Amino acid sequence: MKKMTLGAILALGLFSGTALAQSAWTGGDDLPTSPLACDGTPAAAVSVPYDGGAPTNPPDRNGKKITVVDVPKLIGIGYFNATTKGILDAAAELGNVDAKTDGPTKANIDEQITFLDNYITSGVDGILFAANDPVAIAPVLKKALEKGINVVGYDANSTPDARQWFVNQAQFNGIAKALVDQMATEVGGEGGVAIVTSTFTTPNQARWIAEMAAYAAACHPKLKWLETVEAQEDNNLSFNQATTLINKYGDELKGIWGMTSVATPASAEAVTQAKACGKIAVVGLATPNAMKPYVGADCVKSVVLWNPVDLGYAAMHVLRQVADGTLKPGATSVKAGKLGELQVINGSEILLGAPYVFNKDNINDFDF
Amino acid sequence: MTATKLLRHETILAVLTVIALAVLASLSDKFFTVENLLNQGRLMSEVGLVALAMTFVIVTGGIDLSVGSILGLTAILLGVFWKNLGLPLPLAMLAAIACGTFAGWVNGFIITRFRVPPLIATLATLALYRGLAEGISEARSVRGYPEWFFFFGQGEVLGVPFQLWLLGLATVIAAVILGLTPFGRATYAIGANETAARFSGIRVNATKLWIYTAAGFLSALAAVVFVSRVTTTRSDMGTGLELDVITGVVLGGTSIFGGRGTIIGTVLGLILIQALKNGLSLSGVKGDGTIVVIGLVLIGAILAGALFDRNRGG
Amino acid sequence: MSAASPAIGRSNLHRFLSGYGQEIVVLLSIVALFIVVGAVNPRFLSDNNINSIFAGNAYIAIAAIGMSMIIMAGHIDVSVGALIGVIATIAGTLAVAGYPVWIAWTVPILFAIMVNAGVGALVAYTRIPSIVVTLGMLSILKGGLITATAGEWISGMPVEFMIAQMRPFGIPSAVWFMVGLTIVAALFMRYTDFGRAIYAVGGNMEAARAAGINPERTVVGVFALHGFFAGVAGILFATQLQVIQSTVPPNLELTVITASVIGGVSILGGTGTVIGSTLAAILFACIGSALIFLNVSAYWLRAVLGLMILATVLADMARRRRAR
Repeated sequence: MKKMTLGAILALGLFSGTALAQSAWTGGDDLPTSPLACDGTPAAAVSVPYDGGAPTNPPDRNGKKITVVDVPKLIGIGYFNATTKGILDAAAELGNVDAKTDGPTKANIDEQITFLDNYITSGVDGILFAANDPVAIAPVLKKALEKGINVVGYDANSTPDARQWFVNQAQFNGIAKALVDQMATEVGGEGGVAIVTSTFTTPNQARWIAEMAAYAAACHPKLKWLETVEAQEDNNLSFNQATTLINKYGDELKGIWGMTSVATPASAEAVTQAKACGKIAVVGLATPNAMKPYVGADCVKSVVLWNPVDLGYAAMHVLRQVADGTLKPGATSVKAGKLGELQVINGSEILLGAPYVFNKDNINDFDF
Repeated sequence: MTATKLLRHETILAVLTVIALAVLASLSDKFFTVENLLNQGRLMSEVGLVALAMTFVIVTGGIDLSVGSILGLTAILLGVFWKNLGLPLPLAMLAAIACGTFAGWVNGFIITRFRVPPLIATLATLALYRGLAEGISEARSVRGYPEWFFFFGQGEVLGVPFQLWLLGLATVIAAVILGLTPFGRATYAIGANETAARFSGIRVNATKLWIYTAAGFLSALAAVVFVSRVTTTRSDMGTGLELDVITGVVLGGTSIFGGRGTIIGTVLGLILIQALKNGLSLSGVKGDGTIVVIGLVLIGAILAGALFDRNRGG
Repeated sequence: MSAASPAIGRSNLHRFLSGYGQEIVVLLSIVALFIVVGAVNPRFLSDNNINSIFAGNAYIAIAAIGMSMIIMAGHIDVSVGALIGVIATIAGTLAVAGYPVWIAWTVPILFAIMVNAGVGALVAYTRIPSIVVTLGMLSILKGGLITATAGEWISGMPVEFMIAQMRPFGIPSAVWFMVGLTIVAALFMRYTDFGRAIYAVGGNMEAARAAGINPERTVVGVFALHGFFAGVAGILFATQLQVIQSTVPPNLELTVITASVIGGVSILGGTGTVIGSTLAAILFACIGSALIFLNVSAYWLRAVLGLMILATVLADMARRRRAR
């Protein structure tokens, strides 16, 4: 009976799996995509009026000392340690900001909301956030605005009217193009490729995957997407999942995209331990420190990422200027300390710049 | 077992809670304000609703690990019924709650009909229900609910958050059922000695089935409040909820071996945890420090209760 | 179990089978899985894949051995995942700081034994239910770890520290550990006084006391032993990859507990074997890998896993009822 049950379930799984697997790329979201042109011709810039929110009767904070709390998606991972570093650097440079980072230990919308709520009650002047969900976080951020608190997002956006500005590390279609182009170059334009992501519910990752699918379909049609696997934010699980992909597809698999700073090094490790360096390319988003061993060993040619320290740094500068009242709706650029002038796009977003590609020559210059 | 003995742990807990409130109030002047306290009530409502049912479950000597997954599944179904199947939202709410209740019933059915230990049965459905939520939704969220729907999670009645009324009402009902009715006595009897309860004519299986179904129902209710509060539906909602709920119930003095526990205790336990989370945050302690304190308080409070019991010759 | 065996072979076999019923169900499931999935995609049976199924999940099996002992003694530990995270972090920190590797291996294990002996003492002497103490420990270890490390990744460990990546006689050392420790633990549970005391305490504490067993000391001992297994699991966890995340691996305690109970350890205490839990851990690893090989839609993966756990449990209950 036992075996029958097991067999039935396996058959069922097999059936439903093959039925579903052939549709779109698994792991993307269902929002409209806007792939960039294959040759990188920038799309005509559409000017959008300011669509962010505004705090209700904020006190005059111009030049005064302000307390700021930064609530990232979760604490205790390398990426958000780096953004925190940037925030603290900027705060130290500005001299009139008292900033700290606090947040949930896992990427959980409910806990993130509770943290924000508590800090609103405690009476901070400014909030920096990276949203676990753009819609779910909106009510509590609107509450902050109503209390006259300045709200600026970075890394992961909320709905625009729930915050004043959002510092965008790189546009989704830009990241997607960089990842797909890099992969196409390394595998010679064609072959089977797979994705290791965190969870399908993580908005940024879902967005990138959808944009990658759209861009690859238009510009690299010979790249054959095989499969997307989930691996949480867990090093060992990511390694196991990537290894399973390598074992499953054998020579058919030419490349793996790691969608998180956890998945990419773990995928590189899996390729290394499978002695497939050079046969299977690993391209992905990652922090340089975690990738140094693999880039140094020539197993990974390059890593795509913006600089998260700069991201935090820019977000802090933007928040200070919003609090001072010097950054107003309608501005077309912002001065962000050592980063210089940053562009305003999409109405109320500030673009950090093009994604950065780390390789063997420059990776040792970075420490985060 | 006399009422005083039953309430001993609750007394300790009440004293502890008052001390904690006093200390936290002295640490931050933002803590003991009506607005903050009401807001905290809003934030603890979902855990509170589920904890009421969990108290019954644990009093029978069982456990339900799948409550967080039922919450996630109900939330997803609410979105799917409304957006994908096009049901009117009130109907979708009812249908989703019915499905969540059914999920609870399935737990009870597996536990009573097949005699699977509750820990194992709900460990399996923990994965199953979460998996269904992920599969049905394909990890996509449903957004764009109409404004009136946000009343359940964000609205107020007479200045008090709606879900706090709901929690209050549910608490009173649960306390009355557990404390004053034959059903409540049956619940305690099952937890104290299931075989004896069976022989004394208590309908053990029916009672348990009701209790696990109620756990499903309250988890589903919490799901609607949650979706309304955060205005969106995600398949990972309620992940890890079971540990928060069990911590509250156990801190409230309900014995994990069954047969002992009160709704009052559970409510006190929940208040203490929420007050610590909020109060410590307001006085500048970071989140990772706060969970260490909660761990220490959990062990400390139960330890104090156990030592107190022993000194009284209990 | 210790009754004199009748001479007839068939009856002996029957007795053997009913003594290890759940282990055999799990083992057959593993074999069935290999046959079915291997038929669909022969690569499932390749050396590499079998190696990675076993080696990649050995730490779960090893942690499940200790967890089984805890459950057999009538207790539970929900903090094991957090403990493994802490062990891995301590080991990595010591290795990077330049201590000899044997110190980086043994000190964290000793630490785990001490922490869990402390937990055991609280459970045994104050009579606080183990789920309460370990829920508390879960919070303390998790919060403490993040406070201490801020989640900084650890990398640059010396090559000789990477014990999980070594392959004595061509087989990953993690597999040697898993097999070796399972056999030692199984013999230990069956043939030593302490092993039998664990069963006795889990079966009926007062009866155990009447039989001359000191239940308190047994509980402290079994928690300490569990600490040892968690410690070894933590070291393997830490040395599998070239970076250590220094956070608590999500949901690991659930996986470990599930492996123990699916392997036939009764949650009511008193029965079960450690072989079953190891087999169940392997079964889980196989299922995880098989679902990918079978192209089960990634969205439905967890639902199928849940169904399979449920099916295993129900089959076990049906078998037990027939055996009765």
